[in-house]
Amino acid sequence: MAEAAKKSQEYGADSIKVLRGLEAVRKRPGMYIGDTDDGSGLHHMVYEVVDNGIDEALAGHATAVTVIIHADDSVSVRDNGRGIPVDIHQEEGVSAAEVIMTQLHAGGKFNNTDDSGNAYKVSGGLHGVGVSVVNALSEWLELTVWRDDKEYRARFEDGECVTHVYEYGPAPGMRGTQVRFLASAKVNRPDGTFSNLEYSFKVLETRLRELAFLNSGVRIIIEDERHAEPQRTELFYEGGVREFVKYLDRSKSSIMAEPIYMVGERGGIGVEVAMWWNDSYHENVLPFTNNIPQRDGGTHLAGLRGALTRTINNYAQSSGIAKKEKVDFTGDDAREGLTCVLSVKVPDPKFSSQTKDKLVSSEVRPAVENMVNEKLAEWFEENPANAKIIVGKIIEAALAREAARKARELTRRKTAMDVASLPGKLADCQEKDPALSELFIVEGDSAGGSAKQGRSRKNQAVLPLRGKILNVERARFDRMLASETVGTLITALGTGIGRDEFDIKKLRYHKIIIMTDADVDGAHIRTLLLTFFYRQMPEIIDGGYLYIAQPPLYKVARGKSEVYLKDQAAFEDYLIEMGTDGAVLRLGSGEEIAGADLQRVVEGARQFRRVLEAFPTHYPRGILEQAALAGAFDAGKADLDLQAVADTVAKRLDGVAVEYERGWTGRITQDHGIRLSRVLRGVEELRTLDGGVLRSGEARRLSHLAGTTRDIYARPGQLVRKEREVPIHGPVDLLRAVLAEGEKGLSLQRYKGLGEMNPEQLWETTLDPEARTLLQVKVDDVADADDIFTKLMGDVVEPRREFIQQNALNVEHLDF
Amino acid sequence: MSCPICQKETDAKYRPFCSRRCADIDLGRWLKGSYVIPGPALEEEEAAHIVDPRQETPKH
Repeated sequence: MAEAAKKSQEYGADSIKVLRGLEAVRKRPGMYIGDTDDGSGLHHMVYEVVDNGIDEALAGHATAVTVIIHADDSVSVRDNGRGIPVDIHQEEGVSAAEVIMTQLHAGGKFNNTDDSGNAYKVSGGLHGVGVSVVNALSEWLELTVWRDDKEYRARFEDGECVTHVYEYGPAPGMRGTQVRFLASAKVNRPDGTFSNLEYSFKVLETRLRELAFLNSGVRIIIEDERHAEPQRTELFYEGGVREFVKYLDRSKSSIMAEPIYMVGERGGIGVEVAMWWNDSYHENVLPFTNNIPQRDGGTHLAGLRGALTRTINNYAQSSGIAKKEKVDFTGDDAREGLTCVLSVKVPDPKFSSQTKDKLVSSEVRPAVENMVNEKLAEWFEENPANAKIIVGKIIEAALAREAARKARELTRRKTAMDVASLPGKLADCQEKDPALSELFIVEGDSAGGSAKQGRSRKNQAVLPLRGKILNVERARFDRMLASETVGTLITALGTGIGRDEFDIKKLRYHKIIIMTDADVDGAHIRTLLLTFFYRQMPEIIDGGYLYIAQPPLYKVARGKSEVYLKDQAAFEDYLIEMGTDGAVLRLGSGEEIAGADLQRVVEGARQFRRVLEAFPTHYPRGILEQAALAGAFDAGKADLDLQAVADTVAKRLDGVAVEYERGWTGRITQDHGIRLSRVLRGVEELRTLDGGVLRSGEARRLSHLAGTTRDIYARPGQLVRKEREVPIHGPVDLLRAVLAEGEKGLSLQRYKGLGEMNPEQLWETTLDPEARTLLQVKVDDVADADDIFTKLMGDVVEPRREFIQQNALNVEHLDF
Repeated sequence: MSCPICQKETDAKYRPFCSRRCADIDLGRWLKGSYVIPGPALEEEEAAHIVDPRQETPKH
């Protein structure tokens, strides 16, 4: 085994096959080296020599390649490999080194598929024509070989050997090959090949850097001696293509910490891939075959793409991400923001053209596909957090692409025809002037039906929407705008949708009125609609076209008169108005208050109650009320003489209590609060106003309100109305008594939903421009709605549930 | 103000979003009906009446 391996590594004159015809190169240089005018051919001259050094390194014999651009515009390339064979070639009768330099298609790497002792298994070489082409196109070329502790030299001019290989002298410990050449150029002689000798350090550096990445562990040094201050760059990368993608994305922001790196071999084809996603939208995939870049891709790229799409698809399906977002993605989506270097090492690769821009070897595709399929799936399984980030980004790419397509489609709909053909959806109006037209977006089928019947067909259109869906898995009803609903809405509005397509001038209604139930569900639907307009059609809000209808929450009837009231506050206003009518508040002092004065006192009581409700719930409201009236919350008073305050509160409490439940006493607690107690049927009742609450902000506000009304409640009074007398010990008593009076003889209907109103009622209260009130939506209000929306949609379940519960009422009163 | 999708700074041109991309992602979700506000859990009795059509098997 070891001997066979040794034999296969022998690199002598016999392993060089000879093909003749160097003259052809000079006649048609473009065919062999590329363009001789634009600089690309000139630089290829260097690469061609460098490739030999890299090949030595790939074969494990060299570790460094040095490229020097000399001041005389010649270039030398030196490696520390085995040195080109200098012994005599059997077929040609001259040294192998000379054959390599003068015979086209001669090279150790030429018969690489041959099992019998080939010099290189896999090799690059830009055009595979070998260094003889460089020699053919050089004014002169000097070869130096260090081998067997000796230095050998040879010189060529115009491709002809002018000094045959000779032993120059001893060179103990030295090894390697150096080629220094001066390219034949028109600037030096009229029959020169190249237009000029302007090597670009940057161009050379870029390609050499590529080679350093692709050949991990090979040190490549480039020096430029043409200038007063020589330039030198050393390129050495141990991470291979992994470092290559990091270098490519050095100024981009990546969505993951480290690139995905895969390496393996399938059927004799070496595959090395590094993939990294950044937050841009551009794909940057660089395929290489035996170190040569393929601008037009080929079978290796096809294999990579196939595997990538397939693996990511599998992951998106199995992880449930695809289902959640309801989106199918394409290979393009998967490669958005992807930076990837794919390097394959293929024996005897086939390309579609001389320039090797596209790989056509069919065996490469399955090799790459197989390796990437396996390793990528493995990586996804082992890195779930990163996998989620990558797939999330891909899904977003798919969403955005599809949205843009759908937006174009929706916008192209012929409005008039398509609106009419939306079955059972939009009931349009006759008016064609947008300034006079109104669109009601109504939640629920029955409400939609009532609105359609009750509206003014002339200028009021109705779009009913169903926003409730059953979530079977979670056993609940969720709120949403179905995709057809959104589509119908966009079509009805006529503006189109999307950043490129939306046109406010095409808006068909200048009043868009959201009409939802006055409950939590209705508030959620309204939040959804507002958020949609705010995010996707902000111009509609800017223009002042968006409104919220104010359907009544109550209908109250007294005798023959009927009144609609829009909310709880309006209902209370009404009850207070009724309850104070004909009522007299007789104070303890004997003074009487009635009419407008009484209404003011009741309004004060209402404010008092509101502040009272702001206290934490474990403080009994009755105690707080009496404490406030006793002045316990007055600034500084508690600190002046706390026991006196405690006694006053106890006394007031006794005043409220019925005779046999009196006996309150007040004591000071350790934290400078008050403890109130009494004995009821042998059991002690304890109430504490701790030091904190006595000095709280709520206490201060309550004290302020109590101060203005203290005289009224100084002694117990009565509310007298229609021969009824109710004792009054404080503002809460008064408010309760007035509301109770207001409700007498009243029949009340609370509308749970718009659907409970018949078409006539809906017209009278909500649709009729003469009677209705509309709230115009302002941008700031909607930004709040978006905020609520975001919280409602949040991923974290617990805080969201809490938020919904806490805000259920707030949302209900969320009147914009 | 920050972008509702990625929380980056809002760009006035794409308000309230930071970019065309995020605006499109949001539009995509609306057009697919992906935005759902979860409702309260149903009472047990109500939930018992819900039949998952995928699990319903014909009775003989």
